[in-house]
Amino acid sequence: MEKEELKDKIFAFVQAAKGKKKLKEKDIIKGVSAETGESADNVKKAMREMIDVGKLMYSYGGGSSSVEIPSEEYLREKGMIQ
Amino acid sequence: MKKYETPLLDELEKGPWPSFVKEMKRAAATNEMANDELGQVEKSYRDKRGYWKHGGIVGVLGYGGGVIGRYSSIPDEFPGVAHFHTFRINQPSGMYYKTDRLREIMDLWDKYGSGLTNMHGSTGDMIMLGCRTEALEPLFAETSSRGWDLGGSGSALRTPACCLGKSRCEWANIDTMDLCNELTQAYQDYLHRPAWPYKFKFKIAGCAVDCVASIARADCSIIGTWKGKIAVDQAAVKDYAKGGMNIQAEIVDMCPTGCMSYNGSELKIDDENCSRCMHCISKMTKALKPTGERGATILIGAKAPIVVGSLLSWVVVPFIKMEPPYTEFKELVEKIWEWWDDNAKPRERIGELIEIKGMRAFLEAIGVEPQAQQVFEPRKDPFFFWKEEDLK
Amino acid sequence: MSWLSEQEAKQKRQTDIGPPNYKEMLPPVIAKNYGKWKYHEVLTPGHMVHVAESGDKVYTVRVAGPRLLSTASIRELMDIADKYCDGYIRWTTRNNIEFMTTKEENVALIKKAAQDIGFPSGGIGNGISNMVHTQGWIHCHSACTDASGLVKAIMDELFPYFNEKQLPAKTRLALACCVNMCGAVHCSDIAVVAIHRKVPVIDHDLVKNMCEIPTTVSSCPTRAISPDPAKKSIKINPDKCMYCGNCFTVCPPINIHNPEQDGVAIVVGGKVGSLRKGPMFSKLAIPYIKNNPPRWPEVVEAVKNIVDTYAKDAKKNERVGEWIDRIGWEAFFKKTGIPFTFQHIDDFTFARDTFRTSAAFKW
Repeated sequence: MEKEELKDKIFAFVQAAKGKKKLKEKDIIKGVSAETGESADNVKKAMREMIDVGKLMYSYGGGSSSVEIPSEEYLREKGMIQ
Repeated sequence: MKKYETPLLDELEKGPWPSFVKEMKRAAATNEMANDELGQVEKSYRDKRGYWKHGGIVGVLGYGGGVIGRYSSIPDEFPGVAHFHTFRINQPSGMYYKTDRLREIMDLWDKYGSGLTNMHGSTGDMIMLGCRTEALEPLFAETSSRGWDLGGSGSALRTPACCLGKSRCEWANIDTMDLCNELTQAYQDYLHRPAWPYKFKFKIAGCAVDCVASIARADCSIIGTWKGKIAVDQAAVKDYAKGGMNIQAEIVDMCPTGCMSYNGSELKIDDENCSRCMHCISKMTKALKPTGERGATILIGAKAPIVVGSLLSWVVVPFIKMEPPYTEFKELVEKIWEWWDDNAKPRERIGELIEIKGMRAFLEAIGVEPQAQQVFEPRKDPFFFWKEEDLK
Repeated sequence: MSWLSEQEAKQKRQTDIGPPNYKEMLPPVIAKNYGKWKYHEVLTPGHMVHVAESGDKVYTVRVAGPRLLSTASIRELMDIADKYCDGYIRWTTRNNIEFMTTKEENVALIKKAAQDIGFPSGGIGNGISNMVHTQGWIHCHSACTDASGLVKAIMDELFPYFNEKQLPAKTRLALACCVNMCGAVHCSDIAVVAIHRKVPVIDHDLVKNMCEIPTTVSSCPTRAISPDPAKKSIKINPDKCMYCGNCFTVCPPINIHNPEQDGVAIVVGGKVGSLRKGPMFSKLAIPYIKNNPPRWPEVVEAVKNIVDTYAKDAKKNERVGEWIDRIGWEAFFKKTGIPFTFQHIDDFTFARDTFRTSAAFKW
């Protein structure tokens, strides 16, 4: 699978959980890997690239860390959008 | 800048112990954020409650830890602490500083933050106490470009910490500072990007005196030890006696294994019965020295009481060599993480998971044989598992 | 220091470099004798000497740190290090500050210079070192007492044990501003831990929006929490709740704070070293003292009473926990005059190990 396509799958996976379940890195890696047949390592790498550019972000709440789609406020602060 | 009356906090400027209120006032004299912090804390003292919200979602791009979001719950009253985030800077092993390097951090913090710090936080990082969200990226760019990095937070590897070990202590059996630095550097990804069920802490002590309290607060406690005899310098023993030490009462009678004897001039140790607790060595450091092979005992599982009670770490590997590049230890640790990551529920520490799954499952997963050193005593009950392979 | 432009900063930004190497931070005498130390001697509660196999000596002056330090004070402490210690300084795990010098004549000068800016020397040997503590009202959402203020008040009172007087053994004090206990409070000779005493109050509307119900239910160690489907929230069985606050951590609208009822407990007899008896947890001595800022006189008095009783009664080299083990807890309560209550009898995880199964005990 092309990396960009994989990233779209990851994004869709995170979006589907929004407001329902806080996803840990591992949930995403396992879930997307099962869905696409890509190796866990590839999913992890793609996900990390998305985090590095603010397409996804780490979040923290309820005593533990998770991965989410960034808010507009976050993107503005990081200079990703004007 | 608003001037706050602080009659309650003023009471804590009195007395011989250094005053945190004086520190807050010093920072408040020139810093709006510190000034409002002073005002808000005075209000807490009046109302007997804190005014902070739960942490929020802030950080530097790409990292999931190192910054802890903190917002005042009454920002209209104290706008200077509307944002008051923690910025954790990873300390150098052993917490030694060259002053010109530490001055860099002070300059950065005066420019971007409140001017208030904790030297250090409980885990070991330098804690920069209070900055605004928009300061985080420029502050991190400046900090990292000068060779400093953030520590851990969240469901990640926490900043490893150690005692000062061989740098200034004759009791260190392992090079704690080197190992701490090596683990910190080798596992940067686990430190900055929370990928686990919960936090994981390393603390490294050079001997069983455990000056970093590793056995009480680290998921993986690494405690230096040795395998040989204790060498006795009888002339130095005599000097201790001459100096007024009651060797019988203070040393021999307090030995937990009764392996020492003293006839008024000579101190003898039955090394086979010694459990290497460090009592005699710590009291007679000029006279007694460990000899022979050095290494570490690996203990797993300590944590504070939340949520079903505190745990002290349990002996898992009684002895392991600890020399650079620490390959054997790193392989062990990676197996421990893998098992924990695969099996734990969210917010479950490794010690709790071992209790649930059983020590056998854990030892088998990481490839460690059962050894009598792992327990105080064998089980009392007659209920135990047999697996097919045990029946052969 | 010269500042980077925004553009430069972005270019030079690095990730995953870790802290600077410790080797860069070591005073020359430390670097030279690394791993080759022969012995050390505590010369006063405020300084000690380490002697290397090479014959080199390094004198260490330890001064009290409040943990919460302004950059201005850190700069002044560094000025002392620049003047007497070739520009090197160190912090200890208990938040004290150490100055190292090869010149014995510098010891008195360092002590005076530090005292002049408000940092007295002490904390080495068989006394009371700095009190490990947490954030409190200064910076934590979870705090049910302040940390720095209580520590200041207690250490002011016990100050003679920091800088001159000796105890039977070293005595480690700690304070946690809630039961999350950031720090090894649960294994200290004497520790203060803040507690709640009332069932939390639930803001159902916010719970609905902010919290995962299953996570919140499973966060409770005593199974006091169950779902409340009608309200799309949770309910708490008050008979089972022991006010740990774990639900508040995972679901902020469950408010456990109660300024009039929150307060502190005192636990005693813990240690972390394996020396003699091995590491021990601290156990409950006093279940509750109300919050009384700014100086918590009742807490200070209670801690002092325990220290004084221990100082009078323990044998040399006996830590608080070892002393209590020898005399028995029933004797501890008698000697200290602390009342024994229902709260002292465990009804949680480790209860069965604590009930007496012997007919031998003291009156």
